Amino acid sequence: MKRRKFDVAAVPGNTARAVDDRFQVATPLRRLLNKVFPDHWSFLLGEIALFSFIVLLLTGVFLTFFFEPTMTEVIYNGSYAPLRGTPMSAAYASTLDISFDVRGGLIMRQMHHWSALLFMAAIVVHMLRVFFTGAFRKPRETNWIIGSLLFWVGFLAGFTGYSLPDDGLSGTGLRIASAIMLSIPVIGSWVTAAVFDGEFPGTIIISRFYIAHVLLVPGLLVALISAHLGLVFKQKHTQWPGPGRTNGNVVGERMFPRYAIKQGGFFMVVFGVIALMGGLFQINPVWLFGPYEAWVVSAASQPDWYVMFLDGSTRLMPDWEINIPIGDGYVIPPLFWPTVVLPGILVGISLLYPFMEARHLKDYRSHNLLQRPRDVPFRTGLGVMAITFFLILTLTGANDVIADKFHISLNAMTWAGRIGLLLLPPLAYYVTYRICLGLQQHDREVLAHGVETGIIRRLPDGRFVEVHQPLSAGKEHGELEYVGWVVPKKMNRLGALGPAIRGFFYPIEKPAEAPVSPGHPPVEPRPDREEITSGENRP
Amino acid sequence: MTSDNDRRRGLLARLRGRPGAPSRGRRRLGAAVRLVAALMLAGGAYTVLAPGAAAQENPPLSTAAADGKALFDVSCLTCHGSNAQGVEGRGPSLIGVGAASVEFQVSTGRMPMARQEAQAARKPVVFTRDEIDQLAAYVQELGGGPVVPSGENLHADGNVALGGELFRINCSQCHAFSGGGGALSSGKYAPSLGPATDRQIYSAMLSGPQNMPVFGDNQITPEQKADIIAYIQQTLNNDGDPGGFFNLGRYGPSTEGVAIFLVGIVALVFASLWIAGKS
Amino acid sequence: MSSQTGQPALSDGEPLDVNDPRLSRFDIVREGARRDDIEIVHYEPQVVAGTKAERRLVRTVAAFFLLTGLAATAFLVIYIWWPWEYEPGRGGDKFYTPLLGVTLGIALLAVGFGILTWGKKLLPKEVSIQDRHEGAVPAEDRRITGETMAYMAEELGVKRRPLLGVSLLAGLLPVGAVAAAPLVGGLISDPHKDNQMMTTGFAPRDGQKIRLVREDGRPIRPADISAGGQITVFPGVEHGVSNRYADSPTLLIHLREEDAEASRRNNEREGHGGYMWGNYAAYSKICTHAGCPASLYEQQTNRLLCPCHQSQFLITDNAKPIFGPASRRLPQLPIEVDAEGYFVATSDYTEPVGPDFWERP
Repeated sequence: MKRRKFDVAAVPGNTARAVDDRFQVATPLRRLLNKVFPDHWSFLLGEIALFSFIVLLLTGVFLTFFFEPTMTEVIYNGSYAPLRGTPMSAAYASTLDISFDVRGGLIMRQMHHWSALLFMAAIVVHMLRVFFTGAFRKPRETNWIIGSLLFWVGFLAGFTGYSLPDDGLSGTGLRIASAIMLSIPVIGSWVTAAVFDGEFPGTIIISRFYIAHVLLVPGLLVALISAHLGLVFKQKHTQWPGPGRTNGNVVGERMFPRYAIKQGGFFMVVFGVIALMGGLFQINPVWLFGPYEAWVVSAASQPDWYVMFLDGSTRLMPDWEINIPIGDGYVIPPLFWPTVVLPGILVGISLLYPFMEARHLKDYRSHNLLQRPRDVPFRTGLGVMAITFFLILTLTGANDVIADKFHISLNAMTWAGRIGLLLLPPLAYYVTYRICLGLQQHDREVLAHGVETGIIRRLPDGRFVEVHQPLSAGKEHGELEYVGWVVPKKMNRLGALGPAIRGFFYPIEKPAEAPVSPGHPPVEPRPDREEITSGENRP
Repeated sequence: MTSDNDRRRGLLARLRGRPGAPSRGRRRLGAAVRLVAALMLAGGAYTVLAPGAAAQENPPLSTAAADGKALFDVSCLTCHGSNAQGVEGRGPSLIGVGAASVEFQVSTGRMPMARQEAQAARKPVVFTRDEIDQLAAYVQELGGGPVVPSGENLHADGNVALGGELFRINCSQCHAFSGGGGALSSGKYAPSLGPATDRQIYSAMLSGPQNMPVFGDNQITPEQKADIIAYIQQTLNNDGDPGGFFNLGRYGPSTEGVAIFLVGIVALVFASLWIAGKS
Repeated sequence: MSSQTGQPALSDGEPLDVNDPRLSRFDIVREGARRDDIEIVHYEPQVVAGTKAERRLVRTVAAFFLLTGLAATAFLVIYIWWPWEYEPGRGGDKFYTPLLGVTLGIALLAVGFGILTWGKKLLPKEVSIQDRHEGAVPAEDRRITGETMAYMAEELGVKRRPLLGVSLLAGLLPVGAVAAAPLVGGLISDPHKDNQMMTTGFAPRDGQKIRLVREDGRPIRPADISAGGQITVFPGVEHGVSNRYADSPTLLIHLREEDAEASRRNNEREGHGGYMWGNYAAYSKICTHAGCPASLYEQQTNRLLCPCHQSQFLITDNAKPIFGPASRRLPQLPIEVDAEGYFVATSDYTEPVGPDFWERP
């Protein structure tokens, strides 16, 4: 038998052929490799959430190997001396073991917790970007809804995970959660008894939360995230207006190699930041909190930041109890409104906003170009109003810490929160609206009269005027139309002066370029393939 | 916390002010203390010199107590009245509060008070160790009351695990799990236990200063007190944080939430600006 | 695929013959992109091969990767050899987690920045334009799909045979209920079983009044609490000091004389006369708002603050809520002292303890 020489160089080609023979992937793969993604820093915010979710899965799987999700009472006998001999649940004892007796367990726990906080923070920041730029408009309403749901499902994931260690702080949170369920009219006590299998705390809630936290909720998250990414893929990413960019195209980089490389690098950066935080910043030191005991509590008991707004709304709620004098009398406790009704309203508003706005504007067309926040003052105002509302509630959620550390009366903090919650959001709306109008006007002014040069000229009659550099070549001013993108307002942006100091936020411009998006060289499309307009056709 | 050096320098040195020009706020506070002390001195001098002011029928005082009375008449009498019977609207009677109360209030610098306010705050100590003992002896002999055992280290044979349990039942609701303190109603607060000495913690439990409930030896035995102090000093104050160089003040989720935005989100937004910002 | 001979023109819109030997690899890439309606309009190397700039960038990227290796090795060395077991104090074990975090963080960040620098600086800049093809489904296709579906519905003939639809519905509804039944039925638990929402561990058992005990189970004498003091007490029953009696923890307060008098007067008014024993009053530690232990007792103002939502209760006024979101007084436990001189609960709480709910009487 003749020995055939093994040709190493031919292996990839042969393999590829063999695979394609069977699965016919060449064409779809080419399409994937070639897919164009627009490039802007704000488009990477959602990725932070995605990547921290991956870190959550990795670290979470590690933790499951050591965590024991039961409320069986044990006597702690691990390394941590200050708790030795203390009766506690197996869940808390195993959390202590992860922290002190599993080598490297503490950093995994801390990375898991930090990435959970980062996941929620990135979702919120990403949602704000989508909101303020109008990226939720048709055809992307579905993806906005999925994104909103991701926040609320993430909220559930966070709360169930936060409760698992069964420590003094999270147990207090669980106690409040049971009171919230109890406050629901008519079915409250049945819901609570069903969840806790009887009276709080029962003996099974940790096991139930565990399966929710490691299977049901993450499963839902994976499904929603897949749908979210799939829709981004199918509908293609939005882009900022600019030269060569229309509602009907995507201008950017192909997925391979640069876009994918950037994504891979960014994943490592996100992972690295989480690792640094997990190592350097102590989070949730459960060993200080002790096991959950119904009679133990700490000053400054707060939930994690994304739940804190509910804690704040609860603190601000006046003691309005509704008594219904039928039969033996029924009660709607004050706890019901800020913890059940308010989040219900918030979920409703967040899910329906795209449709409400479209209805309000009677705008049912598809939009693939983003809007600058200043160009839609009412939406930007609403957004800032919502942020103000959320911030006041969140700060109130920590108002005892603030009161203590800044020497303010706790009662005064509560009243400031109550009044602020009513006054500041509308004020924020008004101020934002005016600022947007001012910015719009300045854009139009620069387009009409040109850029301030800083050159002061004295006229023959003695007056001083500043020389403006018109943006258009033509003699008559005001022929430039605003197209929804950055108007250059400094001479060096026009290339008239030398480049400024090497900027971090802005690229150094080449002389005499039209304004471009950061990160984009000017585009010279082939005239026979693409009709170029300067942006979205505005109504 | 006052260093040994400060303690040794005594009242007059303190009244003259600290060397090394502290911050403006500190200086202003120092000025206030000096002013009040001067006023008290003047008032006290008047009382001492005025004839027939001191009650004669009390049993004779020990030497230490007599020295303490002299200090009392100079520094405390304006508010607590002659023979420590209290002055309506200014200061409570000290009859029966015991040496423990003096120990706590004076050794933490809360007394003499700079001014009347919702709650006296810890500030630099005015009296030396010996002077505090003399004042304590005086108040003790006036009306009895709880006494702190002698010695600086009161947790030598304390059990941190037992102390931790007692701490969580009795202390953490106000002073927080971390011992960092917390807010009470209307501007009052439970102070941080970080700077507290063994004697101060012990005396606070015994005397229940201001709004703190009393934890007498009948309720929490001296051994249990040693356990609690051991937990506070060894675990809360001197055990390092295993979870990182920064413990975020151990305030729990509130500072963790701030950190995730100020550190995590800010760092990653900068990273994304760099990645997509320019090519 | 139409084959074309002749010059490989780049701009005539016709598909190229990719087998043309004159085509460069980039030409084929560009042609591939075109077949996906993508036009690479700008493709320009950022560094010229062989220049100093290129070498410098290559060195930077390589340095990043080597740093990763170094940091990862350091991580392993620390992971294996660093003394990591907990010891009280500020010893070396407190550096274990930070050092792991720093080395892991540096390793990951370095590989990240290495990759990013590679991608950003060494790869050519490009701008490509892709058609979105939005709304590109021709109206004809929509019509065909719609008609197909309508045809299928017609074939089923539910309209003509209504019995089928009705019976299907009637059959499926119970099946749906069957799917939900085990879950609902398994989870459901009667909240009013054994009157559990209204009772605590202090309910007398077999006519025996229940003692108030400390966390270690010892009963309490009046002399155990000084005036101005408070103590957390539990029902003196088996497992009384555990989460099985999560509603039972109670705060026993020894009021000062004048506060006790005011308190007695106000108790009388609320129909709680005789609930106190001497100057001692016992109130539920479980907040009526959200169930946290409301236990920040201010002995001078006699306020009880809940640390979760800052409800404040005035103990001397029968624990009336005076600030914050709580709307209901803390329930008072009637107490007395038994023959042996220990505190007992005269009866159970006379109203439900803990957070409010719909059917609270």
